[in-house]
Amino acid sequence: MSSSGVNPSDIDMDLEAQLRDALRPVAPSDAFTQALLAKLSARSARASSARESHRSQAAGRGLPPTRDGERVVRLARRVPGWWLTASLAASLLVAVGAVQHLRAEHERARGLEARREVIEALRVTNQKLDLAYRVVRSQSSAMAEGDSGV
Amino acid sequence: MDEQLLRARRGEPAALETLVRAHQRTVYGLALRMLGTRDLAEDLTQEVFMEMNDHLTSIQSSGHLAFWLRRVTTNRAIDQLRRRARIDVTTLDEESPLFGAVDEADPLLQRRLSLLLAELAPAARAVMLLRYQEDLDPAEIARTLDMPANTVKSHLKRSLDYLRLRLEEGGDARRGDHST
Amino acid sequence: MFRLRVVVFLLVPVLAWAGPNPRLVLPEFAALAQKATESVVITLDPSLLAMAGRFLDGSDPKDAATQEIIKGLQGIYVRSYTFDQDSAYSQADLDAVRSQLSAPGWNRLVQTRSKKTHADVDIYIMVVDKAAIGLALIASEPREFTIVNIVGSIDLDKLHKLEGQFGVPKLDIEAPASAAGKSK
Repeated sequence: MSSSGVNPSDIDMDLEAQLRDALRPVAPSDAFTQALLAKLSARSARASSARESHRSQAAGRGLPPTRDGERVVRLARRVPGWWLTASLAASLLVAVGAVQHLRAEHERARGLEARREVIEALRVTNQKLDLAYRVVRSQSSAMAEGDSGV
Repeated sequence: MDEQLLRARRGEPAALETLVRAHQRTVYGLALRMLGTRDLAEDLTQEVFMEMNDHLTSIQSSGHLAFWLRRVTTNRAIDQLRRRARIDVTTLDEESPLFGAVDEADPLLQRRLSLLLAELAPAARAVMLLRYQEDLDPAEIARTLDMPANTVKSHLKRSLDYLRLRLEEGGDARRGDHST
Repeated sequence: MFRLRVVVFLLVPVLAWAGPNPRLVLPEFAALAQKATESVVITLDPSLLAMAGRFLDGSDPKDAATQEIIKGLQGIYVRSYTFDQDSAYSQADLDAVRSQLSAPGWNRLVQTRSKKTHADVDIYIMVVDKAAIGLALIASEPREFTIVNIVGSIDLDKLHKLEGQFGVPKLDIEAPASAAGKSK
């Protein structure tokens, strides 16, 4: 470490700044992007024609179209004026429930952290069990080779 | 619901292109810096965006999309790295340095940082990239990598310590305050 | 007589509690943690395990399999430290844990010693009334040691099947019959 009295936290900030500079975003080549977009378009077109086929079959059976976007647009046009009153009432409820929400969020964060820890713990356990299996297996192979060499 | 996302779900090419162009630097950058070569990075980038296309209906917002892309990219890269030996640092493509436009003020330091980051274990490297390329805080990194927050912090601390030590060993000329 | 019966009644749960205990007392390893380049310290008691279970997504295959595994568990404890040089820790550091595994109830399931990689792995299970109620694993490698203590009944076969889902590549290795464990 420095003996010149430089604050270690300054050194860390310098390193972190260097890292951010070094890790500025990198774009792929234009050729790659174009090729990727072409593949995505082709894939979407295939999926779209499959949906179109489903829609025409559904229409033949008297069923409404199923495109998400269209459903959202139709819903928006149907909204009546009472919605404003309802939304005001909902806002009041949200304000009243703010404390419960924060508590629930905290609980959720703890729960998700516990979930991550379980997954990590099982991963580590599995890794070490595999280590044991590999050692046993390699010892078995070595013994088999030794026997066959006799 | 984000308009671009809605239109992309409907398969509109222009919307898909907007999403790809908005996020490709993140995905490609993470892939390249995790895997070390342009070919592997392009393969992974394509794989991730293809999968994104297949899962658009389950993505709820642009924020969710960004999270999803980071998560899938880093997890796939970690899986790949764990399946093969450590990347051979000497085979890195010198024409496309891992770390984007090199700062003319200190190209040597930046190259050195790039090589040193490649020495980190996959999980630690992913944590560092999410922190310093994507500017995520430790809690967000923990969510992205499905990793306990304490492990994230441990990776950050240890990786910075490692980089600092290796830079000092290398006799970084800029760090004139470190007299040996 | 009544007082004697009360005393016996009170002693029974105490004596039962004093029976085999699958929960190990794990040291803090504070000094080693300082030296380690990576550390994994996980302490999941019954309440945290239950909480984790509520946040595992049953519709996700990995989460569902994890839920299945932790169903019979009362605790998972992990201490794993990685160092950047050989011999950063000594076997004496692990002796405080190993000595607990010579207590009644613990049976060594697997002991592996690799001269090639210098990796030693010991796996113990605690069996009471023909049911496994605990597992302990100590893995010692030149630059890393790991201690895992699982309290409760764990199915090692199910755990082994998860390996592809945790970012660990599927290895072409069948678990030896003796190591699969009769954990149910």
